[in-house]
Amino acid sequence: MLTRKLSPLQMAIMAAALAVVLFPVFWILMTSIKPPTDWNASPAIWVPTKPTLVNFKTLFDPDALREYGVGGVSQSATKAVLGSLLASLVATALSVAIGLLAAIGISRYGNGSKATPLIILSGRMFPPAAIAVPFVIIFSSIGLTDSYVGLIAIYVAATLPFSTWMLKSFVDDLPREIEEAAMIDGLSRLRAHLTVTIPLIRGGLFATTMFIFILNWSEFMFALVLAYSNISTIPVQLAKYVTATAGTLYGVQAALAVLAMVPLVIVGYLIQSHLARGMTFGAIKQ
Amino acid sequence: MTRPRLELVSLHKEYDNGAVVAVDGIDLAVTAGETIALLGPSGCGKSTTLNMIVGLEQPTSGDIQIDGASIVGVPAGKRNVGLVFQDYAVFTSMTVRQNLAFGLAVRKRPKAEITRAVAEVAELLGMSDRLDARAKDLGGSELQRVAIGRTLVTKPAILLLDEPLSNLEAAARLAMRRELRRLQSEIGLTIIYVTHDQIEALSLADRIAVMHAGRILQVEKTARICERPDHVFVAGFLGSPPMNLVKGAIEPCEGSVVFRHGGLTLPLGAIADFIKPPEGRFTLGIRPEAVRLVPADGAALSGEVLLVESRGADAVLTVEAAGLKLKVVAPAGAHPGEGQATGLAVDPEALVFFGGDTNRRVDLPLAARPN
Repeated sequence: MLTRKLSPLQMAIMAAALAVVLFPVFWILMTSIKPPTDWNASPAIWVPTKPTLVNFKTLFDPDALREYGVGGVSQSATKAVLGSLLASLVATALSVAIGLLAAIGISRYGNGSKATPLIILSGRMFPPAAIAVPFVIIFSSIGLTDSYVGLIAIYVAATLPFSTWMLKSFVDDLPREIEEAAMIDGLSRLRAHLTVTIPLIRGGLFATTMFIFILNWSEFMFALVLAYSNISTIPVQLAKYVTATAGTLYGVQAALAVLAMVPLVIVGYLIQSHLARGMTFGAIKQ
Repeated sequence: MTRPRLELVSLHKEYDNGAVVAVDGIDLAVTAGETIALLGPSGCGKSTTLNMIVGLEQPTSGDIQIDGASIVGVPAGKRNVGLVFQDYAVFTSMTVRQNLAFGLAVRKRPKAEITRAVAEVAELLGMSDRLDARAKDLGGSELQRVAIGRTLVTKPAILLLDEPLSNLEAAARLAMRRELRRLQSEIGLTIIYVTHDQIEALSLADRIAVMHAGRILQVEKTARICERPDHVFVAGFLGSPPMNLVKGAIEPCEGSVVFRHGGLTLPLGAIADFIKPPEGRFTLGIRPEAVRLVPADGAALSGEVLLVESRGADAVLTVEAAGLKLKVVAPAGAHPGEGQATGLAVDPEALVFFGGDTNRRVDLPLAARPN
């Protein structure tokens, strides 16, 4: 936690930076409680005079906006919220579990070659847009499009480099003597990992889990190309709030975005101290 | 001599299919209740040797026996050997009590026994009032005590200490050294103590084994090892400052035998004194404590004091004489200052010779002389 006193100049710079970063958030929050007439009024309405929860209601009851004369909202967001939860939670659990095994293997047993960690990371060299189409082609030939299994598989593959590298940095930081001491005390190699290694890196394990969850929760590209009708996620659903008659439903989008932000804000707050450290991939040692 | 408690028999350890030889055939017998120090510079194979004894690494060849039975292949936890690591390896997520109880809890001992053993060890280490402290809140010397306690609680047949004091600051190091000596005498453990610090080795060990490049060069009683080094490396490593080492030749000269190096000629005795007069290349070792300062006038060897390093009760002088820089230890206040001339005298009895090729000590074949 920062407790240092800031000079007036520093305060001003901080305030300016915060204003830039927080303005979109403010705008989304305000838009989410605006009635349809205020969504794209000109001049802009900063703070709605008649705040309403109708946008939030519309998320789960597509007909709620009819009282404002807006129809044609086809789909409830329930499926997208549940889909996001399912895909993100399962993919995060798998990614962290596999990443942990890989991290211990690389860090403690020297598995693979010295290049292994880099090769694992090289999967992140490609922008998702570049590999999304090949994925769709391969996935449709093996029947994995429009299924949560396919979406989870691709999420695990996409986040595994991060989970492996972050966890590896935490395992690297833990002196191996501590496991050896446990083995001298009579534990097997595996039990030494279970009773010593994992409890001692639990802070890092938690931070990694949260970080991977954020990545999965906000992923758009793969979900967009893989979801047809069976599956949906919040980012995909956000793009669907466009009607033929009323154009883009900014208020409803904003309401869903606000809902989607809640877990991110909680998670972000919980891991703020770990996040900076984890992102350096162990380059900085305490 | 009683049967050794621990015996290492031509122990070898190689890495990368023989590209790196960490331990190159060492033999060592440790008797019960003895403290032996493995002393050597970093990378000489001390820690690898410990890791093999405790079972964290498997020897490439050779044998390790405890009470006559081989323990090679026995898992680390079943050898009844304890190891205290240099950086403590205390489980910081646990309390002191949980740390101390860990080894016994893993072995599924009855609760009452664990409680009793933990209390005993805590008492022994003066940690009784800190049992519920979190290990991560402890200071260096407390952590080291917990690390030692964790190991003692399982009552190991042999206790291995891997540079246990090197992470402590000077004052704590002295206190822990006293503590270790007290533990030694109170529980009579068999201890192998790895260190690169000769003061630690000299103050704690009954015998010292000097290691260099994967080999044990000499195992000798602590009291004797500085006086009678077996190997040039031991001579150049032990002592503060270590022996002066001069490469030269021994040859007959006008009826006597002399050691010659450049302008330095040291008479070693009349030819008649020797059963067989030695000849050839030798390395001469002179302990700094064995050199006496005498008046420069009329001295056989004289030179100029280049540097005086005071150590309180005495001082280390660097004297340039006959083209050599010799270290001399002299009592404080009774020596010439920097830049002054001084004579040097060396008692021939205090000279030690090493073979020029073998680097091993050779005793000159002196005939028995009256006194």
